[in-house]
Amino acid sequence: MPNKTDLTYEQAVKRLEAIVGDLEKGTSELGQLSSQIKEAQELLAFCQSKLLKVENDVKKLLDDGKE
Amino acid sequence: MPAKHISLYELNSLVSETLELTLNDSYWMVAELSEVRVAANGHCYVEFVEKNPKSNALVAKAHGNIWRNVYQLLAPYFRKTTGESLAPGMKVLVQVSVTFHELYGYSLNVTDIDPTYTMGEVARRRQEIIAQLTEDGVLTLNKELPLPRPLRRVAVISSSTAAGYGDFCNQLAQSGFPFETKLFQATMQGDRVEQSVIAALDAIAQEADNWDVVAIIRGGGAVSDLNGFETYLLAANVAQFPLPVLTGIGHERDDTVIDDVAHTRLKTPTAVAAFLIEARRGEVDLIDGIRQRLDRAARNELTLARRQLEQTATRFHLATTEYGNRQRAHLAQLQARTELFARQQLQAARFALNRYPDRLTEALTTRLMRERHRLELADRSIKLAGPERILNMGFSITLKDGKAVRDAALLKPGDRLTTRFAKGGAEVEVTSTSKP
Repeated sequence: MPNKTDLTYEQAVKRLEAIVGDLEKGTSELGQLSSQIKEAQELLAFCQSKLLKVENDVKKLLDDGKE
Repeated sequence: MPAKHISLYELNSLVSETLELTLNDSYWMVAELSEVRVAANGHCYVEFVEKNPKSNALVAKAHGNIWRNVYQLLAPYFRKTTGESLAPGMKVLVQVSVTFHELYGYSLNVTDIDPTYTMGEVARRRQEIIAQLTEDGVLTLNKELPLPRPLRRVAVISSSTAAGYGDFCNQLAQSGFPFETKLFQATMQGDRVEQSVIAALDAIAQEADNWDVVAIIRGGGAVSDLNGFETYLLAANVAQFPLPVLTGIGHERDDTVIDDVAHTRLKTPTAVAAFLIEARRGEVDLIDGIRQRLDRAARNELTLARRQLEQTATRFHLATTEYGNRQRAHLAQLQARTELFARQQLQAARFALNRYPDRLTEALTTRLMRERHRLELADRSIKLAGPERILNMGFSITLKDGKAVRDAALLKPGDRLTTRFAKGGAEVEVTSTSKP
């Protein structure tokens, strides 16, 4: 898994989608399962954190614009 | 030597007596003056001539005397009537008495003169010249020339010593306008006028580009001879001159044929100067007028422009306010849309993210269940294939040295084997083998 700090939100979501997709299709190897789950959890946390930050930024900017 | 003879004096006396007896007291005679001379004693001596009208050759000549007492009366009378003095070339009608002096010979004593004849003669001659110029088609050529504007450069034909020329120059100088003048010297009286003025005109024509107008002026001093100007050649030269000619040749009453053909006839040099100054003033007034109109027009234009600018400024102000309002409304709209869009985007992202844990859990559960199921199947298969199930079915396994025996050919009698059953086993010995 690449360093999360290098990832953009879009890249992180893409990777997450790939992992979940593999899981859903059953194409992932069992031996990799726990590490994939772990990566997915980390990506999810990364994305959620990014999203939250953007949401806060946007809210602040929108509120500033109204003043 | 003839016996009878008389002396010269006697002969001249005889002639004198004969003339006195046979001739009338006086005759009115027409003749041309070829010479006029006023002596210091006040007597005027003249020469009368008559020419053949065609050949111009002299056909008669006589000496004439106008004694002082007569001349003192006749001269002012003649001048007052004709505007001219007796001068060579002039045709006169005079009353004469014939005298013959033993010492001085034949002469005519003038006792009276008819100035109206001379005037008529001048007029007749002028008519002839004008008729000829008309026939030549040049009479009005100079009058038809446009006067240059402004009239500034004046070529003057005059005599430098004439008082009229001095007056003319002074007047121009005092006008304050920057006239440029140059004197082309000419004899302005006597029989050399024609030749001299034509020479001056020729000199001006050589540098015609330098001049706007020609002024032929004379005057001042005593009334004198204008006959020299009454010639066809001079009139033709003036009429056809390439620059407009102004004349100021005589006094108020004087008039010559040159005046008839010149562009503008003015009576005196002073009048010519006044004409030039007036023309110049007219130009100045015209320019002043134009300047005033320009000034007014410019002022009006500026007022109009200022008003338009003010109107434009007002419109600009309104337009900018309106534009600002419109832009603000637009921005507000954009802001609302941005906000909405941003919220939608975030919501969508949030929704998508929120689905991942469930999807993960579901996928994981499914995957684990499947794996478990596969393991169970495998276990069952293993169990189905295991020896216990076979032994339970009644089969047994024969082992030799711990290994299952699958071929009887590998045994020989006496080998000791172990047989296992579903429950328990037995040690056996081979007694014989058989082929399958």
